[in-house]
Amino acid sequence: MADQNLKFLVVDDFSTMRRIVRNLLKELGYSNADEAEDGVIALAKLRNEHFDFVVSDWNMPNMDGLVLLQNIRADAALASLPVLMVTAEAKKENIIAAAQAGANGYIVKPFTAATLDEKLVKIFEKLGMK
Amino acid sequence: MDDNSSVAGIQNNGMASSDALLSRVGHLTRTLHDSLSALGLDKTIQEAAQDMPDVTDRLNYVVEMTEKAAQRVLNATDMAIPLQERITVGASSLLNLWESFSQSPFNEQAYREKMEATMCFLRETVADSDASKRQLMDIMMAQDFQDLTGQVIRKIIQLAHNLEVQLLQMLLDYAPLEIKRETNAGLLNGPQINPQNKEDIVSDQGQVDDLLSSLGF
Repeated sequence: MADQNLKFLVVDDFSTMRRIVRNLLKELGYSNADEAEDGVIALAKLRNEHFDFVVSDWNMPNMDGLVLLQNIRADAALASLPVLMVTAEAKKENIIAAAQAGANGYIVKPFTAATLDEKLVKIFEKLGMK
Repeated sequence: MDDNSSVAGIQNNGMASSDALLSRVGHLTRTLHDSLSALGLDKTIQEAAQDMPDVTDRLNYVVEMTEKAAQRVLNATDMAIPLQERITVGASSLLNLWESFSQSPFNEQAYREKMEATMCFLRETVADSDASKRQLMDIMMAQDFQDLTGQVIRKIIQLAHNLEVQLLQMLLDYAPLEIKRETNAGLLNGPQINPQNKEDIVSDQGQVDDLLSSLGF
């Protein structure tokens, strides 16, 4: 298991989903998390505070998850931040676009706690964070 | 005149007026179709018509997702409530045992029995609490429908809005002058959904009273 103090940013325009993801992270041992309701707010938080991991929805007003991801990768200070997409967009072209933009993982909603755990572990292993 | 013939008369009248209605609808449809084609609006209407089956599917999806979530929550509570009850019953009966034990002279045999019973209860409680927590997590996960149905409903609202705009434009373009006036004169508009955004609508009783007093009532 990775460091329990890792700080997560959960980005979703629906507060129910933000609460669910936060509760799941807590259940998996990561209780250090903050929330943002769209890409613009998320990017501002990422630039002002230190985060170790981003879990983001795709379809959001103001700035969607893909543009957020592209902005993160284009920003030298944030470029290496792991980003896990958790989204209802289930088309292959979406998944490919996210991968090309540099997403570290992709979960399609509705999802289970086990899926989130599995993807997190995989990302931690790849990045040598465990 | 007997009842049957008067019924037949009404039916005949009904048929005659429905024929007239059909023919009017037919004429209107033809005129509308010609005007729309002339304006190039037929394409927009075609798109709107194509969106309709999609809307039905989307609404069915909402019904299914919300129903599934409700069932999942009810199933979880059905499982968790008996577990919680068992913990309450076990704890109260143990409490009674220890209370009566503490009031009588010490007896090692009785003490060992109660200790056994207590350990057995604690083991069960660990298992029951774990199982209840799993049900609580399941209730939480069942709420994930809200995000998905929310996205679908937003899309339908957008579609309804587009349709409304198109239909309204058509009405404004084609309604005869006297009908345009009539649509503004109605008083039976029912409750206002968004009173804040309209200048000609009052949004609370204070505004009603102000208006009345400004008119001298």
